[in-house]
Amino acid sequence: MWRALLLAAFAVTLAFAVTAVPIMISGRNPLLAYWALLRGAIGSVDAVAFAFNKSTPYVLSGVGVAMCFRARVINIGSEGQIAIGGVAASWIALNLSQLPSFFLILASLLGGGIAGALWAGFAAVMRLKRGVHEVLGTLMLNFVGSLVVSEVLHGPMGEPGAGFPQSPLFPQSAWLPNLFAGTDMHIGIAMAIGAVLVCHVLLWHTPFGFRLRLLGSTDTAAAYAGVSLLRGVMQVMLLAGGFAGIAGAVEVLGVHYRLIDGFSQGFGFNAVAIALLAALNPLAVLPAGLFFGFLEAGALAMQREIGVPSSLVFVIQGLTMIFVLCAMGVGFKQPRV
Amino acid sequence: MDATVLIELLSAAVRIATPLLFVALGGLLSERAGTFAVGVEGMMLTGAFGGAVTSFASASIPAGLLASALSGAALAGIVAVATARFRADHMVTGLAVNILALGLTSFLLRGLFGGKAPVIVLPTLRPLAVPYFCELPVVGQVLFQQPALTYAAFFLTIPIHLFLMKTRAGLALRAVGENPAAAFSVGTDPIRVRVAAIVACGALAGLGGAVLSLQELGTFTDGMTHGRGFIALAAIIVGRWMPFRVMLGCLLFGAASALALNIQGWGLPVSSYVIQMTPYLVALVVLCGIGRRARMPAAIGKTFIRS
Repeated sequence: MWRALLLAAFAVTLAFAVTAVPIMISGRNPLLAYWALLRGAIGSVDAVAFAFNKSTPYVLSGVGVAMCFRARVINIGSEGQIAIGGVAASWIALNLSQLPSFFLILASLLGGGIAGALWAGFAAVMRLKRGVHEVLGTLMLNFVGSLVVSEVLHGPMGEPGAGFPQSPLFPQSAWLPNLFAGTDMHIGIAMAIGAVLVCHVLLWHTPFGFRLRLLGSTDTAAAYAGVSLLRGVMQVMLLAGGFAGIAGAVEVLGVHYRLIDGFSQGFGFNAVAIALLAALNPLAVLPAGLFFGFLEAGALAMQREIGVPSSLVFVIQGLTMIFVLCAMGVGFKQPRV
Repeated sequence: MDATVLIELLSAAVRIATPLLFVALGGLLSERAGTFAVGVEGMMLTGAFGGAVTSFASASIPAGLLASALSGAALAGIVAVATARFRADHMVTGLAVNILALGLTSFLLRGLFGGKAPVIVLPTLRPLAVPYFCELPVVGQVLFQQPALTYAAFFLTIPIHLFLMKTRAGLALRAVGENPAAAFSVGTDPIRVRVAAIVACGALAGLGGAVLSLQELGTFTDGMTHGRGFIALAAIIVGRWMPFRVMLGCLLFGAASALALNIQGWGLPVSSYVIQMTPYLVALVVLCGIGRRARMPAAIGKTFIRS
């Protein structure tokens, strides 16, 4: 536990240190940039609420990815699953608006989750039946998923005359309620915490979790224990896809109140980075997800205030991942069975 | 469909296949030596960026090409150190450098030019007709009236095939991808071979990026590779890790994209987003069709530990 924390702190610190180089190349002072980033992330109540909202889909999809990676299923398809989940949730929010608010929101979330799970299920079927590696399968489905969003927004679900590819505004009964009055922080983060707890229990205290850990341990251990690769891969992909789909639903119902083009962009990579930073430990996904959410919220503020481009976040994320992977590789921390 | 349409279609297929072929040939080297080449997307993007910025600053396309190969190789260097030396997971490391490349190119594009994304407009490489050959019916127009990098990519398939299949060094590279321990026992250092293969892969993928920025579009935009690196990976699988078959795989994806672009011109009621999906859908369908028949290098993705 402490070693994992140390590893994460080490990787993040190193990533920030190395990122100072491109900041200096662009003729800025890295310390000023980081200070602006910090202020932007936690400088006000609104900033914190915004950052929590940012973190929510990351935690939801990241915890699913962590479960997949545990079983050595390299699911990098969160982005497409989030996109499809968002489309399904939007369709329900717009077309079943006569439902009472509670049921409308519930139906939208469930619809998003099911759609995301099916999208991930495609990749699982291709892997299991046709031997298509899930990395390529999920990657291709990411592109297709994002284009499905564009397609429906330019077709059946687009708002006529909006000038921007977006759906009409959802009825207010479909909006996710806020957690605290007076802030924009919606209840999504509570769902994310729930998902983290569910995955923790599943992974460590159920036969399903044990099978996942066996699948991830060695090639032979799982076979000896009679664990079916087929079932394990399918189940964990559906689980991760479901959470990612819910993340997509939360994003459209809680933040935008409509479906907008490209809303899922970059989410999938975030999810992978977070799962790794958490050393594939479901409980640790929460702080890791919050860290990236705050980082991104801060970076957007930094770009507004002192003009340092927010794409810096990707640099920090990429480097953090590389450092974590290297440390894992040399055996600093191997996920245990 | 009359002859001119067909010729245009085939010519476009060759053109679209060009960047894929550079990347796929690079990825082939990396994967034959036992390292999954998921990072080619990022290497391609850094190559496109390095090429665009350098030829913008120096007004020289050759300098741009050199810079694109070097920037691709530099990013590949990170993959090489992480996977070969630190035994990091190949797939996820590849993904990490893809994110890094996306962020770094987007950041530097704005950072170097003061905050805003600059409008880079570059002269692109014009088609060069090969004397005599270009007058051949059909074939001449399809194959011998192309820009310089297209000739380079297709020609490069030959030396890469010869290197892999007919030289000692190529044999060592393949041996490391099949059974690193055996290669080590006869005096080949698998780590060195893998590092060299990954860096070479980066240089080639970088050139693939240069095809986009210096030959096709004449500019650089954020994330302009749009998953072409991943399509190239699919082409490697389609080509079963053999250079000439990989070339055919790239042509297949080039033809699919060319056809999809053409369909729009025929006035069929297909939206442009569905058309943009085509390469990815074709890749999935083809990969499913191949199924388990493709045999990948035996030791791919496995780290080598000297003991």
